[in-house]
Amino acid sequence: MSSSDNGTNPTLRLQGIGKWFGSLHVLDDIDIDVKTQEILTVLGPSGCGKTTLLRIVNGLILCERGEVSFKGEVVDGPRPEMAMVFQNFGLFPWKRLDQNIGYALRIQGKEKGEIDRLVSHYTELVGLGGFEANYPSQLSGGMQQRAGLARALAAQPDVLLMDEPFGALDALTRETLQEELLRINEAEPKAMIFITHSIDEALLLGDRVLVMTPRPGRIRFQFETGFGRGRDLEEIRGGKRFQALRHYLWEAMRNPEEEPEPIPDLVIE
Amino acid sequence: MATDAPAATGVSTDERAFWERIKEPAVYVRLISLVVVIGGWELMGQTGNIDPVTFSYPSAICVAFWDLIASGQMTAAAYESSQILVAGLLIAIPLGIVLGILMGRFQVFEYAVDTYVFALYATPVVALAFPIAMVLGVDFVGKTTIVVFFAIMPIIVNVYHGVRNVDLSLLEVTRSFCSTESQRWRDLIFPSVVPYLVAGLGLACGRALVGMVVAEFLMSISGLGALSQDYIADLELDKGLAPVVLLMVVGIALTKVVNICETKFSSWRVRQES
Repeated sequence: MSSSDNGTNPTLRLQGIGKWFGSLHVLDDIDIDVKTQEILTVLGPSGCGKTTLLRIVNGLILCERGEVSFKGEVVDGPRPEMAMVFQNFGLFPWKRLDQNIGYALRIQGKEKGEIDRLVSHYTELVGLGGFEANYPSQLSGGMQQRAGLARALAAQPDVLLMDEPFGALDALTRETLQEELLRINEAEPKAMIFITHSIDEALLLGDRVLVMTPRPGRIRFQFETGFGRGRDLEEIRGGKRFQALRHYLWEAMRNPEEEPEPIPDLVIE
Repeated sequence: MATDAPAATGVSTDERAFWERIKEPAVYVRLISLVVVIGGWELMGQTGNIDPVTFSYPSAICVAFWDLIASGQMTAAAYESSQILVAGLLIAIPLGIVLGILMGRFQVFEYAVDTYVFALYATPVVALAFPIAMVLGVDFVGKTTIVVFFAIMPIIVNVYHGVRNVDLSLLEVTRSFCSTESQRWRDLIFPSVVPYLVAGLGLACGRALVGMVVAEFLMSISGLGALSQDYIADLELDKGLAPVVLLMVVGIALTKVVNICETKFSSWRVRQES
């Protein structure tokens, strides 16, 4: 693998991933490359194996076919260069917010001064300054997921794995966090796989959107959103391209059996 | 009197807080219930409706309690009893925690011992007093063993369930962040077990007291159990019941201590409720 990092070499490469739970065929022949600093959103109906795919990438479970490689090395277990943000936040209820955010750093055996510095940096970055001494149960769902995000970022991974992170939040909190996530990613760009079942979310956040079929999960089609970096979500939402892509995805999701029409050629406004 | 109390009412803040508390149903319903039950019982005794040979009543028990303390019998008996109680708990608590953790975490160990543990859990330990006396004697060792058998079961079973009920999604979090096994114990398993352990300790203290009295009744007769039994046999029911009152008080006090420990160890849980 080339060590020169010009943003086009794949950070993550999935080759021919196949997964069975007993006799249940969950994933079939998944090939994905994720480039450095690319945000890939994975869209699919419930039960198409999106979360299973993410757990395989993280090394939490093994696949029967194919392999995942990170910068050319085969992934055979969790590794510190990847950090997951969990759908149900996954915070320790008996740890204060700062302890939760510093969790990965303590696991990595970082020095206390370093931990304190990184924790306070990422606590501020996700907008949780002043809540360090609170326990998760004292915070709203949105704030808990901010903490979940800060914990993953503080580990300073190369790849962020997002498992429907905003799925359990109300619509308003969700939109706020989508904007925050893009803002944070502008400041500290990383490769990201973002699992979602929301069409809007997949379009708004993704550089590339990958649509999966129902069980067994296969790649149905994928495309570049073309909204560019530094995007203004409000502006995108009102634009023709977003509306057209949204309609296109909506039709495709509603008719999972039909071969979708080619994506309309749209100019970027 | 607090100096900062409002002068107009002339009531101190302490006094006001007291009257505020009295207004809570939890407090006044209990008070009324106590007055009715204890008062009724006392009234029955005072009006001669209780035969002092078969039963007694509160004021007579109080007088007997004081007499037993004054004569030094109560303190001597309590000292004797406390030795097997404390020794039994000091063995049962750590042993129960270790066995519970081993059973919960290591499947081979669980399969090897769970039959005996759950069989013993279902067995009335009183029935074991005789074989224990045969093997270990009827003195300190035998009696302490009875206390251990009584107290250890809820600790083992609760810790076992605590370890088994560790949140699987948090287990995945520890794996995802590359935690080592010892870090996993510190961050996840021990904190998850604490509430189960505390509940187990509360039960264990109550059962240890029962075990203590059973041992003192059935093996070489001693301590508070003996004191009570001797006076009941002599048909002095007031003196026979006084040690029972002491056991009640100790039982309540131990439960309180366990509760205070719980609050200390799980501050996050208490804050959640407030």
